[in-house]
Amino acid sequence: MSVLAYGVVAWLFLIGIYGVVTSRNLIHLVVCLSVAQSATDILLLEIGYRKGGHAPVFVSLPAHPGPAVDAVMQALALTDVVVGAAVTALLLALVVQVHKRAGTLDPDALRATRD
Amino acid sequence: MDLAVSASAVVPASVAVPLAGAALMAGFSRLLPRRARDLVAIAVALATTTLTLILMAASAGRPMIYWFSGWRPSAGMVIGVDYAVGPLGAGMASLAGLLVCAALVYCWRYFDSARGRHHTLVLIFLAGSVDFCLTGDLFNLFVAFELVAVTAFALTGYNAGYPGPLQGAINFAVTNSLGGMSVLMGIGFLYARTGSLNLAQIGQALAGRHADGLVVVAFALLAGGFLVKAAVVPFHFWLPDAYGSAPTPVCVLFAGVMSELGLFAVIRVWDTVFSGLAGGVGPRMRAVLLGFGILTAVVGAVMALAQHHLKRMLAFVTMSHLGIYLIGAGLLTPLGLAGASLLVIGDGLAKSALFLGVGVLQHQRASVSETKLRGRGRGLAVTGVTIAAGALVLADLPPFVSSDGHALLVYAADQAGLPWMEIVIALSVIASSGAVLRAAARIWLGWGDNESSDADTGTADDPGEEAEGRSDTAGTEVQTQDDKGERSGRQRRVPLTMVLPPLALLAIGLGLGLTSGMEEHAAAAAAAFSDRAAYAAAVLGTHSGSVATGGGIVIPAAPAASAGGVLTDLGQVLASLCVAGIALDRRARRLRRALAAGTGWLRGLHSGLVGDQVTWLAAGLALLAALGEWALH
Repeated sequence: MSVLAYGVVAWLFLIGIYGVVTSRNLIHLVVCLSVAQSATDILLLEIGYRKGGHAPVFVSLPAHPGPAVDAVMQALALTDVVVGAAVTALLLALVVQVHKRAGTLDPDALRATRD
Repeated sequence: MDLAVSASAVVPASVAVPLAGAALMAGFSRLLPRRARDLVAIAVALATTTLTLILMAASAGRPMIYWFSGWRPSAGMVIGVDYAVGPLGAGMASLAGLLVCAALVYCWRYFDSARGRHHTLVLIFLAGSVDFCLTGDLFNLFVAFELVAVTAFALTGYNAGYPGPLQGAINFAVTNSLGGMSVLMGIGFLYARTGSLNLAQIGQALAGRHADGLVVVAFALLAGGFLVKAAVVPFHFWLPDAYGSAPTPVCVLFAGVMSELGLFAVIRVWDTVFSGLAGGVGPRMRAVLLGFGILTAVVGAVMALAQHHLKRMLAFVTMSHLGIYLIGAGLLTPLGLAGASLLVIGDGLAKSALFLGVGVLQHQRASVSETKLRGRGRGLAVTGVTIAAGALVLADLPPFVSSDGHALLVYAADQAGLPWMEIVIALSVIASSGAVLRAAARIWLGWGDNESSDADTGTADDPGEEAEGRSDTAGTEVQTQDDKGERSGRQRRVPLTMVLPPLALLAIGLGLGLTSGMEEHAAAAAAAFSDRAAYAAAVLGTHSGSVATGGGIVIPAAPAASAGGVLTDLGQVLASLCVAGIALDRRARRLRRALAAGTGWLRGLHSGLVGDQVTWLAAGLALLAALGEWALH
C-alpha cells in the first residue's frame, strides 16, 4: 500500500508538471496543474494513514475501537482542496478572458498578443 | 500585567481587523459611496499598521506567544496553533501595513472605476501578510502563503481585459501554485518525521539529530516553494511578467512585501526547524544560500539595465535587491539578518516610491516605455525628483535607513570572512540604480539618443508596453471619455493623492535613517529571531521566567557612522550616476551594443512562456534537493 501510494504521488506530480510544461492548450494546462495538485492530497492522506485504522470520528465508538487514521493530515488535504479549487477557478476565469481577447487557447499565443 | 493582557489581545486583532474589513468591504461596498469605501479601507489598513507597530514594541524584550482558544501545550506537547510574535516579524507586518496604506491613498484617484473588489483583495492580502509574519505554525504559514498568493494572482489580473495582465497573472498563478504544492509536500514530510506542525516542536524533534533523506527532501520542497515566491534565480521567471502587468499600486505591495515574505519564510523555517540539525550544517547551508543570493543579485541587475519598460525594469531591480537580502540573511548570523532587515525597510520604501512615481507617468502620459517617454517628463517635476531620489536611496544614499542596513550587512560579511561580498553587492546596486537613473535622465532631461530601444537591447523581453500602459489606467480612459474637457489627462494636474504618498514613504525612510539606535534594535531583533533554543523554550513553555534574548550579541559601534561606510555609500551613489551617464552617452554606443550582445542569451531565457518557467522551477527544485543533500546530510 505504502510504496504504491508514494509511487502514485511521484507519478502524478511529475506527469502533471510534464503536462504543464508541454501543454498547447490553456485549459489542458490548468487541468494538468490540478493533476499535480492531487499528488499533494494523496501524499497527505498516505502520511496520515494507519493500517486498519478507522475514520477519525470519535463519537459512538465500540468498546475497543483500535487506532484511527490521522485527522490532522485529512484536515490539511481538505484545506489544500479548497485552495486548489480557488486557484483553478481563478485560472479558468483568466483563460476565458484570454479566449475572448486572443481567440486562441495556445499559451505561446499569449506572448504573441503581448508584443 | 494589564499591559500584557491588552497586548495579547492585540495579537489576534492584527489579523482579525483587516480580515473583518475585507469581509465588510465585500459585503457592503455596494451600499457605500466610492469615497466612503476608500476611507474605510484606508482606516482599516492604518489600524492594522498601528496594531503591528504596537506588537513590534511590545515584543522587543521577549517573544509574545498567543495560543488560539487558549490551547496551550501540555507537558511540552503542542496541541494548538500559536502566533509567535517577535520584533522582526511584527516589523515586517507593519511595513506591509504601511505600504498598503500608501497604495490605498494612491488609489484614491488612480482607479476611476474601482469597485469594492480591489480594496477587498488588498485587505485580504494584508491580512495574509500579517498572518504570515506572526504565525508559529507551519501549516498556518502555508495557509497564509496561499492567501497572499491567490489574492496576488487576482490583483495581477485585475485588468483582465488586456493580454499583458492575463499573461502575467497566468504565469504567476501557475508557477506559484506549484510552489505552494511544493511547500505543502514539505510540510507533509516534516509531519511524517516529527508528528508536529508547530515550528518550535519540529525544531526540538530534529535538534541534535542527523538529517535523513526525508528531512533533506522536506527542506528542499519547503525552501524551493518559498524561493518561488521570493523570486530567487532560477525560480524568478514569473516575476517580471507579474510586476510588469499588475496595476502599479499593486506592484508596490508585490515589491515591498510579497517577495520579502518568501525570504522571511526561508529564514524563519531554517532558524526554527533545521538549524538544530547535528553535523555542523550551518557553514554549508550558508554557502548554498549565498550562492543563490549572489546569482539573483547579479542576474537582476544585468536584466534591469537591459529593460526599457519601466515596470519590468523595477521588477528586476526588486529582484536584484532580493538577492542582496538573501546574501544578508544567508550569512546565517544575527548581524547579517539585521542588515538585511534594515535594507528591506529602506529599499522597500524606496522601491514603492519608484513604482508610485512610474504610476504617475502611466496615468499622465499613458506609457511606461523609457524610450517613448524621452523628454516628456516636463510638467511632472516632483515625480522626477521622487524617482531620482528613490534610485539614489536604492544606491544606499546616506542618511537614509538603507544606508545603515548596507553598512551592517557589509560589516556582517566581513565578520564572516567574506570581505569580497561588499564588491558583489556594490556592483549589483550600482547597476540597478544606474538603470533607474538612466531612465529618469532620459525622461526628464531628454538625454540620450533618439535611437530605438530595439537596436540597443533587442525586443526579447520588452513587450507591448503600450497595451500595458493602456491597461493599467483603464479607469482613466473611461473617465476621460466622460469629461471630454480633460482629454488624455495631459492638461490635468497630478492629483495630490498620487504625488504625496511616494514622498511620504521617502520621508519615512529618511526619518528612520536619522533615528539613532536603529542598528542596535535591528541586531537585537535579529538575534532573538535566530535563537532557536530560546524560541522553542518560549513557545513550548519549557523555561519558566523570562527568556534572555539578544544577549551575547556584540553590536558594532555604529558602523554606518564610520567615515568608511559613508564613503562607500557615496561611492555607490556616484558610480550609479556614472553608469546612467555612460548608458546615455552617444560615444558609448558601441560599448552598449557589445554588452547587449553579450547578455542576449540571458534575455532570451526570459521568454515569458509558462512552460519554460515551470521547467526552470522543476530544475531548481532538483538542484535544491542536491544542494540540500550536500549541506544537510
